[in-house]
Amino acid sequence: MSSPSLTLPSQEQHPARRRLLEVLGALAIAATYIYLVLNQPADITGGPGSASALIALTGFLAGAVLLIVAVLPTLPASTLVLIPVALVLNIVLGQFVGSTLVPFYLDAIGTVLIAVLAGPAAGAATGALSSIVWSFFNPTVLPFAAGAALIGCLAGLAARYGLFRRFYLAPVAGFVTGIIAGVVSAPVAAFVFGGTSGVATGAIVSAFRAMGDTLLAAITKQALISDPMDKAIVFTIVAILVYALPRRSRQQFPFLRRHRVLAGNTADTEARSDAAAQAPAQDPAHDSSRKG
Amino acid sequence: MTASPAGSAPAQATRPRLSPLTWLAAAGSTAVITTAAASWPLSAAVVAACLGLSLAGGTARRVLPASAAVLVPLGLSLLVLHGLFFPEGRTVLAAWGPARITAEGLDFTGQRILLLAAVVMVLLLFSFTVSLPDLVAALSARGVQGRFAFVLASTLTLLPAIAERARRIREAQEARGLVVSRGLLSRAAAFRLQAVPLVLSLIEDAGTRAAALEARGLSSPGPRTSYREVPDSGVQRTARVVLVLAALAAVVLRLVQAGAGC
Repeated sequence: MSSPSLTLPSQEQHPARRRLLEVLGALAIAATYIYLVLNQPADITGGPGSASALIALTGFLAGAVLLIVAVLPTLPASTLVLIPVALVLNIVLGQFVGSTLVPFYLDAIGTVLIAVLAGPAAGAATGALSSIVWSFFNPTVLPFAAGAALIGCLAGLAARYGLFRRFYLAPVAGFVTGIIAGVVSAPVAAFVFGGTSGVATGAIVSAFRAMGDTLLAAITKQALISDPMDKAIVFTIVAILVYALPRRSRQQFPFLRRHRVLAGNTADTEARSDAAAQAPAQDPAHDSSRKG
Repeated sequence: MTASPAGSAPAQATRPRLSPLTWLAAAGSTAVITTAAASWPLSAAVVAACLGLSLAGGTARRVLPASAAVLVPLGLSLLVLHGLFFPEGRTVLAAWGPARITAEGLDFTGQRILLLAAVVMVLLLFSFTVSLPDLVAALSARGVQGRFAFVLASTLTLLPAIAERARRIREAQEARGLVVSRGLLSRAAAFRLQAVPLVLSLIEDAGTRAAALEARGLSSPGPRTSYREVPDSGVQRTARVVLVLAALAAVVLRLVQAGAGC
């Protein structure tokens, strides 16, 4: 599966154009966020459907779509077929948790799983696609596409730089990701919805509003309470899942081997069940030459 | 909400005469214009129109529960949030300690819920009315990559299948003696016992599917022939352009107003 197509050589048509689209997408998201934060105080009490809601929707969505257009054609087939699976995991688990009285979401397990297996670009595309496809039967997740893309990208970077090699580092990486993602998603919740979509998260926002905070400040504080814990749990679950994968499944993903994402030679408790299979393949270069 | 409405929705096309792209343009521009206008009579009109269209099209039994599943928690959350705590409110109707019901807060909540209801119902009406195979074919014919179409179609068809597999795994684990009690640790252990086999089998399946797709030329460039004829006409093409321009005009108008107001 990691071998190229037998019929035609895999081709990269316009690498510079793709890179430009990626940069433009990231810039659109960053510029929208900065504009919203700088412009917020005058606007929120001016009534619903304000200009800020439109800017948040347009900027974040355009950024997410640009990222998808840039990344999707470059993904290998083994990653592409995993994206629908990840989306279903996001949706099934997210719907389940969203309806309970817990101030968490757990709607990013599939996205983080792809990011760890296939890298930051695949993670970002999966996050953005997840929001767009999910919006087919829950349109309120559509504006969070940029935040979901950011989560996927950060999870991939954490995997790339070895934070999943030590089991205790995964929740830490999730915590930091949650802080960044929460801060970026808060303006969407504030300007587009005027609140949060869950009952439990809404109660936390109410508590901050009762102390006299502005809506954006209250929602940002709620996001800083919910998101880091949520993402720490998600990253831990993904670490458990990835370490439980048999070696044959892991071999499908060149990203895992190239960057030594997982601990191959440490006595990690989560790798215990896999230890016997891992023993002869400690050197990643040796490992890849043995493939097949 | 369950997975079944989403899975069964694309199977039927109740409006075969309109191109799915026209539906998409209509739903999208309605959502944008409603958000930009932010006037409650327009929002109410859109909600009423959606109700009428879904009743006429026979999709009401799927659109209404799906809308309720989204809107009821959101509405409750907004009602608690702004109904009880709205520090910017001046006209106090009732107060208990820190909680104050203000007229401004209730007004804000009502308008926001109505607006969100309009947007959510328009988009759900679209996704439950449009024929998904037609939408995929129309997008592919317009140069949208087959990869996006694959992800969209694959997700919506996988949803019921995966929900079914999760149910079978739970039953198998229960047959082996899995008992979920109320404790957090027990729940976490039960989650792990069900999630690990599910994810492993899904990744295994995906590997097989990747090899099959690769063998059928998924990554190869070049033109593709679609055997699916999507209805389209010059009138619809013009209508789409007008709809998109109207949405853009509404956004620009709103931004100019906001700029002038500051």
